[in-house]
Amino acid sequence: MTAFAVRRLLLSAGVLLAVSLGTFVFIATRFTPTCYSRYSTGAIPTLASTPRQATALWWNWLKGVPSGHSFGQVCGSNIGAPLWPALGHTAALLAATALLVVVFSLVLGTVAASRAGSALDVGVRGFAYAAWAVPAFVLALGLQSVFNWAGQHYGFHAFGTTGWPGSCLGQGGVVLPSSLCGPAPTGFTYAADVLRHLVLPSVALAVAFIGIHSRYLRSSLLVALAAPYTTTARAKGLPERLVVLRHALRNSLATFTSALLLDFGAIFGAAMAVDWVFQFNGLGTLFITEIAGFGAGDSARTLNPYAIEALLTLAALFVVASSFIAEVAIAAFDPRGRLR
Amino acid sequence: MTSTAFTPDVVAMRGRRGLAGLAIRRFIRRPVAVVSLLVLLAVLIAGALAPVIAPHGWNWIDLSPSVVHRPPSLAHLFGTDPIGRDMLDRTLYGIRTTEETAFGAAALATLLGVLAGALAGYYRGWLDAVVMRIADLVTAYPAVILTLAAIVYLGEVYPHDLILIFGGYMWAVVARVVRAHIAALRTHEFVEAARALGASDLRILFRHLLPNAGGTILVAATSLVGQIVLIDATVEFFNYGLSSSVAPSLGNLISDVVQTKFATPTTLVVPGSSSWWIWILPSAVLVLILVCMNLVGDALDAALNPGAASG
Repeated sequence: MTAFAVRRLLLSAGVLLAVSLGTFVFIATRFTPTCYSRYSTGAIPTLASTPRQATALWWNWLKGVPSGHSFGQVCGSNIGAPLWPALGHTAALLAATALLVVVFSLVLGTVAASRAGSALDVGVRGFAYAAWAVPAFVLALGLQSVFNWAGQHYGFHAFGTTGWPGSCLGQGGVVLPSSLCGPAPTGFTYAADVLRHLVLPSVALAVAFIGIHSRYLRSSLLVALAAPYTTTARAKGLPERLVVLRHALRNSLATFTSALLLDFGAIFGAAMAVDWVFQFNGLGTLFITEIAGFGAGDSARTLNPYAIEALLTLAALFVVASSFIAEVAIAAFDPRGRLR
Repeated sequence: MTSTAFTPDVVAMRGRRGLAGLAIRRFIRRPVAVVSLLVLLAVLIAGALAPVIAPHGWNWIDLSPSVVHRPPSLAHLFGTDPIGRDMLDRTLYGIRTTEETAFGAAALATLLGVLAGALAGYYRGWLDAVVMRIADLVTAYPAVILTLAAIVYLGEVYPHDLILIFGGYMWAVVARVVRAHIAALRTHEFVEAARALGASDLRILFRHLLPNAGGTILVAATSLVGQIVLIDATVEFFNYGLSSSVAPSLGNLISDVVQTKFATPTTLVVPGSSSWWIWILPSAVLVLILVCMNLVGDALDAALNPGAASG
């Protein structure tokens, strides 16, 4: 098991290094960190002129990652400064979403499978198909509009519909005057405010994934409920509740966990759009503002290769790490796959 | 069940029906799937026939005060935008652009993925290792981020660029599925029999293995179309990719309202008081396409792989 995990870890690290080098070479030979405008005359020099040069620059960049030196200047401002809050905001959004997805998929999938064919089952499946087809950004726009409307007409303000509490960053990373964003709350008030602002975005992000993963769980539970060991458990006289929870569900959890982890890239992509709609100033907003060259130049050509590289590598790190965990989890639950 | 040999499918197989006929019968036994397929076809054909249905084109501006920025009415079923363009016309052209991109990219990805996956699964060894590691590299980024980065790198994109970008990413998904299937099939006796008869590798691959993987490939290709529609819409929602002034697509039509919204942060889109129809109706069409696509894909899966449990 340890040998398997170490081998997969080395492979994942290799993949991560290779993609980070690959994207760096592409980006560095096309863009420059210097702040040129699209209206600048003459040819704009790129950061590196040959792939060889770009590789050398990438190596320097890589050496600076552990110390944080690598998060270079973006037209006068440091990418490190907006990166850490953005990472925190996205992590909070993803954690809240993960909680919703795990809880609701488990409940809906188990209920639907243990009453297969009932009206409840049909209802859950109908919800699953409908939910999976609604893109997260459409649901986010819809929820935001409805709750803004409820706020304006009925004074309903239980959930935050825009922004991160206490953050003075507006759309595109523009710093708002303090009259617009107010003093930052502290302590318990801040925590409560964050939760209030997390509700709508995490629901918008979670619904589609609850749809698909409750359906996956339902089908794998149906297989488990028809398996001989389940019949044995029933024959021993175990109550149906225990048969489902202890025997069938436990065996389906491996597939459920790995499917969820392997879906991380899709969740991350959808989170960017939700983040953008709710003006959360997470990694999505940061990525879009970096590649759009907001606030500094006025064209995509001014984008900073180092900033883009940092964000791309971070995104790849999330995906590679979650698929590594998924593979190790599968191997831990089911030893048959380890011998490949 | 002990009486498997006499289930209707097996009895039917004794008649003249081939495997495809059986799959079609299994498919049409699901009314929901059939209805979804019909709705999907209707929407896609309406999109393909956009120039016939909407001869004015997607950019026909009518600035008369009775037309500009109106909610849905009999004259303009999807309403009009602030410069008097009919939203139904724009949505139809949007469907056309989106389906061109999605089907083109899915076809390219399937072609590349089947070739790569089949060769990797059949020959194993170093070829398998190389192909699968390339697939790992390609899929190391979330699809939305990789697509955004590719679009920024290219600067300006047109539908054919999007087809190349999505095809260049999604082939890896198909290749994994096909590789696993071929690798499992190649140990079967019929492959050994073909080899004993002197069949070449290519003949075994194309005459024996790939036809047997046909169902899996078809299901994977169908699910690709849905995924590409979704990713394409998300990317265009960020106002990257195709601009609605070059060609409207379902994603950039929805994106337009958000750009307006962010231009004036205090005037948010509120149903009833502002132009909800500009984004809700294209969104509804997008959701309709995705729902039908998923239902059809699942029914296809169940019809082509009857042994597996269906959701």
